[in-house]
Amino acid sequence: MSNAVWQTPEAVRRLAKRHAAERRFRLLGLSAIVLSLAFLALLLVIMLENGLGGLDWQFLTGSDSTNADLAGVWGAAKGSLLTMLVTLVLSFPMGVLSAVYLEEFAPRARWIEWIEVSINNLAAVPSIIFGLLGLAVFINTLGMPRSSPLVGGLTLALMTMPVIVISGRNAIKAVPPSIRDAALAVGASKVQTVFHHVVPLALPGILTGTIIGMARALGETAPLLMIGMRAFVVTPPGGITDPSSVLPMQIFLWSDEIDKAFVQNTSAAIIVLLVFLLAMNGLAIYLRNKFEVRW
Amino acid sequence: MTETKITARNVDVFYGQKQAIDNVSIDIDDGMVTAFIGPSGCGKSTFLRSLNRMNDTIADARVTGEIRLDGEDVYAASMDPVALRARVGMVFQKPNPFPKSIFENIAYGPRIHGLVQNKTDLDEVVEKSLVKAGLWEEVKDRLHDAGTALSGGQQQRLCIARAIAVSPEVILMDEPCSALDPIATARIEELIDELKDNFAIVIVTHSMQQAARVSQRTAFFHLGNLVEYGETSQVFTAPRNEKTKDYITGRYG
Repeated sequence: MSNAVWQTPEAVRRLAKRHAAERRFRLLGLSAIVLSLAFLALLLVIMLENGLGGLDWQFLTGSDSTNADLAGVWGAAKGSLLTMLVTLVLSFPMGVLSAVYLEEFAPRARWIEWIEVSINNLAAVPSIIFGLLGLAVFINTLGMPRSSPLVGGLTLALMTMPVIVISGRNAIKAVPPSIRDAALAVGASKVQTVFHHVVPLALPGILTGTIIGMARALGETAPLLMIGMRAFVVTPPGGITDPSSVLPMQIFLWSDEIDKAFVQNTSAAIIVLLVFLLAMNGLAIYLRNKFEVRW
Repeated sequence: MTETKITARNVDVFYGQKQAIDNVSIDIDDGMVTAFIGPSGCGKSTFLRSLNRMNDTIADARVTGEIRLDGEDVYAASMDPVALRARVGMVFQKPNPFPKSIFENIAYGPRIHGLVQNKTDLDEVVEKSLVKAGLWEEVKDRLHDAGTALSGGQQQRLCIARAIAVSPEVILMDEPCSALDPIATARIEELIDELKDNFAIVIVTHSMQQAARVSQRTAFFHLGNLVEYGETSQVFTAPRNEKTKDYITGRYG
């Protein structure tokens, strides 16, 4: 039994057109991916070509120097580590608690709406503004040491917190309400419901957001310029109050050097920074899979 | 001789400006099943949720009037909603086990309420609850598998076992079979029939046959009003109100 409506030349043509549109879309999508990946590949190739020769033990364990052969990346890497540590310790608990409070406990009031708008705005503020704020508050007003991972970490924590709040709220929102009902119905208190059930289920999303925020902070240069982390530091920092540099700043400083020998150092430092970022993203994926609950 | 477990007097429930329940008064007896029936949106689920103050979680919900559990005012300032919900358990429309093991699903309640002192007691509570919910034989060898991996009907019985585990006095069921196939539904109905000896059970249902099969009392709600309440056999065979008659004979709803 055949249906005459589908046999007309008009119908056949329309069907062919739809298939063609589908093929065009696939091609377009694929080329978009290939184009962006090509640039990334190009960057990697150039960096590896220029920098791989400079990646030796001396480079990985040394600190900055006026002599390109003696200059190393360890001082800046340690500065980055300490700065990130300060940022994480401050922004993670504050961001998660803010997200939990706003999503689960806050009354529906006008001032809460203002806070929500402010946090969304804060996430979009240019980073150099945070640098100025850090300079004014932490160094000039509170008298904390210049160029230190402490002040750098505090400044970057201000920047990272809104990102954690926003991703945390989305992750909490995505936990089905039926789970809250289930916990409340057996007599769990609100706090028990949130911390026994909602937060653990939201954790993969919270961690992903946190690490994305941290990765952004790791690559940040502008706000750290303002608080003096561009100093020429020849000894690795011993603690969070010692003067220090960070990896992206080291890259910036070396790329500014007139001496041609620093080109290799710059590329090598970029490789180190990329390895750092790769490790952090790897950690994010690992943690997400580890805490993911399958329904 | 039956005892009254819950008494409601002149209860109104509002969501913001909208009134969902209008002046409902009802006595719910212990040791039997009370069914709430009525067309969608008639307020039966809303009324059910006000019995254990689950409506507290909805920001603009407001309950006026009086609801008493064993004579204690459920909405009094001295009533702790957390303790109340342990005494008045609830089973929901869609099975909602925690994404944890079968054992952990049941152990959670007794643990947070401090009902057990040690592992042996806990094991015992878990086993008893699963036995009462008719699930023990099916899951006793895989207590540490995910509760969410069970079939829909098993998940709902797991949720019933979870409610039983904290020794409630009343179990509220909000359309507990609407997501289940007929076989799983029959299983739950048998279970409800067994449980009524130990608990007061209130069940909201859209299935008139189900109300007729499992309940001893039936309340018919319409547009937020309690239209008729009485013995299930009376409500289904000799309804006093025209609206009830129309509804149960399938003329609308």
